Amino acid sequence: MLRRLRYPSYFLPFLFLLILGLLPFIINNEYILQVFIMFLFNAYLASGWNIISGFAGQLSLGHAAFVGIGAYTSTILFVQWGISPWIGMIFGGVIAAIFGWLIGYPVFKLRGPYYALATIAYGEIIRIFIQNTKAVGPIELKGAEGILIPFKGSSPALFQFETKAAYYYVALAMFLLVLLLSYKIKNSKMGYYLSAIGNDQDAAESLGVNTSKMKLTASAISAFVMALGGTFYAQFLLYINPQGVLSGDFSTEIAVIGIIGGEGTVFGPVLGSLILTPLSELTRIYLGGRFAGVHLLAYGLILMAVVTHIPHGVIGTFSKLYHRILLKLGDPVVSAKTGAGKTL
Amino acid sequence: MLKKIGAVTLIGLLTLTGCGSQTGGTNNQGGSSAGVKEVKIGALLPLSGAVAPIGETCKRGQELATEEINAAGGIKSLGGAKLVLDFADSKGDPKVGMSEAERLIMKDKVAVMTGAYQSSVTYPSTQVSEKYKIPYVVPVSVMDDITERGFKYTFRLAPKASWYSRDQVKFAKEMGEQTGSVPKRVALVYENSDWGQSSAKGWNKSVPEAGMEIVLDAPYPSSSSDLTPVILKIKQANPDLILFTSYTSDAILLTNGIAEQKINAMGMIGQGGGHADPEYLKNVGKNAEYGFDLTEWSPDLGKPGVKETNAKFKQKYGVDMNGEAAESYAAMYVIADALERAGSAEPEKIREALAKTKITSGPGMILPYDSIEFDQSGQNIHASLIMVQVNNGQRSTVWPFNAKNPDYKVVWPAPKWTDRK
Amino acid sequence: MQTLIAATLNGLFMGSLYGLIAVGLSLVFGVMKIINFAHGALVMVGMYAVFYMWSLIGLDPYLSLVVVVPVLFLFGYFLQGKVINPVLKREFGRNGHAVILLTVGLTLVLQNAALLFFGAYYKAAKTFVSGMTWDMGGVVTSVPRLIAGVVGAIVILGLQLMLSKTDLGKAIRATGQDREAAGLMGINDYKIYNIAFGLCLAILGIAAALMLPMYYVQPEAGKIFEMRSFVIAVLGGIGSLSGAFYGGLIVGLIESVTAQVWSATAAEMLIFVVFIGVLLYKPSGLLGK
Repeated sequence: MLRRLRYPSYFLPFLFLLILGLLPFIINNEYILQVFIMFLFNAYLASGWNIISGFAGQLSLGHAAFVGIGAYTSTILFVQWGISPWIGMIFGGVIAAIFGWLIGYPVFKLRGPYYALATIAYGEIIRIFIQNTKAVGPIELKGAEGILIPFKGSSPALFQFETKAAYYYVALAMFLLVLLLSYKIKNSKMGYYLSAIGNDQDAAESLGVNTSKMKLTASAISAFVMALGGTFYAQFLLYINPQGVLSGDFSTEIAVIGIIGGEGTVFGPVLGSLILTPLSELTRIYLGGRFAGVHLLAYGLILMAVVTHIPHGVIGTFSKLYHRILLKLGDPVVSAKTGAGKTL
Repeated sequence: MLKKIGAVTLIGLLTLTGCGSQTGGTNNQGGSSAGVKEVKIGALLPLSGAVAPIGETCKRGQELATEEINAAGGIKSLGGAKLVLDFADSKGDPKVGMSEAERLIMKDKVAVMTGAYQSSVTYPSTQVSEKYKIPYVVPVSVMDDITERGFKYTFRLAPKASWYSRDQVKFAKEMGEQTGSVPKRVALVYENSDWGQSSAKGWNKSVPEAGMEIVLDAPYPSSSSDLTPVILKIKQANPDLILFTSYTSDAILLTNGIAEQKINAMGMIGQGGGHADPEYLKNVGKNAEYGFDLTEWSPDLGKPGVKETNAKFKQKYGVDMNGEAAESYAAMYVIADALERAGSAEPEKIREALAKTKITSGPGMILPYDSIEFDQSGQNIHASLIMVQVNNGQRSTVWPFNAKNPDYKVVWPAPKWTDRK
Repeated sequence: MQTLIAATLNGLFMGSLYGLIAVGLSLVFGVMKIINFAHGALVMVGMYAVFYMWSLIGLDPYLSLVVVVPVLFLFGYFLQGKVINPVLKREFGRNGHAVILLTVGLTLVLQNAALLFFGAYYKAAKTFVSGMTWDMGGVVTSVPRLIAGVVGAIVILGLQLMLSKTDLGKAIRATGQDREAAGLMGINDYKIYNIAFGLCLAILGIAAALMLPMYYVQPEAGKIFEMRSFVIAVLGGIGSLSGAFYGGLIVGLIESVTAQVWSATAAEMLIFVVFIGVLLYKPSGLLGK
């Protein structure tokens, strides 16, 4: 293993990982760290979305609903009953997974654009419901006012940290875990079935794939992942409200990152976030305060340019480039495979 | 193409890192105040999105005050240092607002923060400034909790949300006592986001306490394309008094619809937001006549400087100032006053000065308050509200009775629609 | 009772207008099989066009259609031809997510260009019908809404006639039903796409003129109509014009009547619940096969 690290195809990823791992020591600026946290968080969410929308090709535009379920579950458990968000996080994930499964049951009968529209609808239903409901029995949703999470100082057991670096490491761990999960799914039988469904559902069915079971499982996993992200969001901001965590725009944002990067690939969502997170920050920083709207105008134009000029997400072009770099560095593994490479 | 994108991203990241390592234009944390040429003030506002019109109004107030302060020689105790506003767009999203507050503080090194209009953004963004020990002057956001968390760096000029609900009802009750036309049946009409819902919470307490009955509780989504259904519901309920919490487009749709349906109530009372938006009067014209608005400010306030300031504002932007603009304007003077007394651009010194604020006169005192003074929690204890009535397209102060416009006589109950010209 | 009648009438008029806006979406969806996420932004573009015709030249919104409709048609024609078609061609046979993304980008561009050039403030046109009402024994109806409802229905009817009777209409429908077969019949499908999108914009121009005497334009003004249009287009069956009309009426009625017996907020939610219900029960729409 260590010997192999001489090969660029091994040491390059290792190097990236090392940089990510040591980043808080390299960059001593909380704002930059904040941008990196947002990068990891967005990549995490888009990867979660990718499990159902990318691998199985079922475009969801309502995924903020699951983020919201996670955020609300762990927050309510914490604020009302003092249960640590680390535990609440798992609860939230399970509830979201059940929810994803239940919703999927009827909705997966729909194909293509109809499915996408249904996801928008359930996302909106959940937002409107929470926004206008003060309490359900003993559970206080607090309506549009949102829920404030009291800051208890630095208490890792309660998912609260004084430093950005700590949040950064939590985000990094979640990010790596979701990548591992994606990689496992992608290269398993399930991943194979899902991509068959994504390509042609009828054909997959005729080959004996239990498509509805596959989709439901993927949907539940995806919802679970999103919900954990929701808990992170809540603990990071210490405030959640329906217009923030459940908004349709948030759902679209997640999907945009996934599609721009490259749906159905493991690293596509990461690339999507790597491009869009800094882009959104930069346009806002340099253009946002001066003329209202310029930053989003620029962002929109770049988005359109990328869609128009780069087919099937940035990942395709990127992996070509990456292989070329590996070849230039004289990597024997890639040369042997003549650029075919593994499934990224 | 990919190369280009890669390059852009790379440059982007480098720029971010680069900016982070510089100290920025202001050496507010440098300690020596002698060399301070300018003081950066971070202004977080919703400059895009649905609430952008009100964000823009706040921005105007801040800009006008800053220009005046700088033209008058800046901060004298800092050798005439100029105030520089550093605007950031929250998009009205708490997540973005928090991130932008972080950036203003960490990257731009602002000495003071101000903003963020929506309570849902102010709430988490004041938490950021508390963490970094940067004073944050809140001109407008009304959510009660903002100053009820024991924060030391948050200072709020505006009254709390519960005070609005209380004063709307108090005014109606006093008008009833004075004129004999006592309102009994009350309709609550409010947009269903955090602002409207916290008003409703207050009304549900203050209306019964005043011996009135709530006959309609009608929340609605402020983005509605058509509010006729809500208006018909009001008509059905036949209230004496209608209390509103509305943003701009919904305030316009409601006012016009009520005129169309000829709903006669003794009084219709808004509470700033859409009803105070200068565009509101422009768009509804005569239909706004005899309507009331509980607000922070009015151009006819009998205080020195009000007329002149409003004239300047109107000349610059073409519309009258309103509550949000006036509070944002005054907040800049509060900051300037603190800087002057602190004699330093260090956030810690500014905080100390802010806590000791006691402004009773001067160019910034165009608000109806007798004085600006913050209590332990950072709330301006003298914050109060006034009631204005629209007549002939003018907003005239009618309440509290001792602050009313002497040239104007309040009309209560409002004449029936059929009796109007 | 009077209130309920008034609410029902209002629901029908607004519903007809919603239907008109949804017809544009349904047409594009039916022909190209893409969800146009820029639909709301295009409604907004139409409203600004009508508004500026009124404020700069002084044209009454209803009259301004003479100018606005052809201009918007051309705008739509070229937008489709130059911006959307290239991606559509490339994505042929794939899931079409890239096209959705393109329209999301387009929305950001249009909305924020409007914010930049026209400002954030609400703009309204005052016309001779603004605020005018018609009182029928206590049931008060707003005249601009009445006009919007009636004209909306007439325009939809006219469009339907055009699609079923004229050669162009038949070509559009043929392309929507089976693109390849239409191609074999000598129809230039991409040109049909341009025309369909141009038509969509022209329809939105008409809707904008009907709305402006009673509504306000702002960069985000179209958003709510987009959501409504998604619901209506599916309710009525994608690609079906009369379906969109009935779908519009249903949504208008739910919005107006639910608010009377329950609340405006509940109406908002109920619309989506009915929507999901129809999707699950009859995805082809209420009038679909």
